[in-house]
Amino acid sequence: MTPWLLLHYKLPNKPSALRVYTWRKLKRLGAILLHEAIWVLPDQPRTAEQVQWLTAEIQEMGGEAYSWRANTILGQADESITQQFNEQVDKVYSDLLKKLEKPKADLQEISAQYQQAASQDFFHSKLGSLVREKLTSKRGGKS
Amino acid sequence: MKWVTWKNIGVDRMACAWLIRRWIDAEAEFFFIPMGEKPVPENGAPFDIPGERYSHHGGHCTFYVLLKENKINDPLLSRIAQMVDEADEIQEVTVEPAAFGLDLICRGLRRISKDDFEAMERGNLIYDALYAELSRNQV
Repeated sequence: MTPWLLLHYKLPNKPSALRVYTWRKLKRLGAILLHEAIWVLPDQPRTAEQVQWLTAEIQEMGGEAYSWRANTILGQADESITQQFNEQVDKVYSDLLKKLEKPKADLQEISAQYQQAASQDFFHSKLGSLVREKLTSKRGGKS
Repeated sequence: MKWVTWKNIGVDRMACAWLIRRWIDAEAEFFFIPMGEKPVPENGAPFDIPGERYSHHGGHCTFYVLLKENKINDPLLSRIAQMVDEADEIQEVTVEPAAFGLDLICRGLRRISKDDFEAMERGNLIYDALYAELSRNQV
């Protein structure tokens, strides 16, 4: 069983900046919006803290927010949700692998993007380790 | 004064306890209550508990809010606030690479400490060290 965090919130329609702000925060955290209805994250110490603060912040902004810890009733749903999280980071990782193939790859930029993706890589995607290996093997100087 | 927060402190609350002791209230006494518990013990100033005055506001960590509310102007403390913000809040702009490491160290520090009091004492050392190193580089 994978423990999950669920978040559901309502914000006033205006100003729309608050909605955009909240949406971007959740994306930055690596959350997935299931069926345009509920945000999901794996229940880990860091994600749980962030969801706690975001729930409080949405209320402070005049919205309503509820967050839960949850388990799926049918275990196979875990796999499908986990896969969605992996697909999300794998998309970035594949892109980085392609960039790394180029002769004049911008290693600093790729490193920054790798770190960003790695912070959302909750289930340790294999592609992530590959990007990391390729990046570290590309450092200059004598080995 | 009595200062109250939830158990299992991390990067933000270690920084807050350090700030309170060194800059706000030298006589500070700390109390750690179980997570989720409210209301807090009488006459205590709660910090880093959602919904309280001294907690996350406007996307900033509690350390930042403590600085602001107490009108403490110290560029080094502002830098530490930026680090704690990046370590403990979701930020789009990140300018302090030390933030991630600071978060890891504080999490680990709590893990190897027998309780929150010990973690807080050890956290003081971390932030004293950070502050000392930042002041050395400030010309």
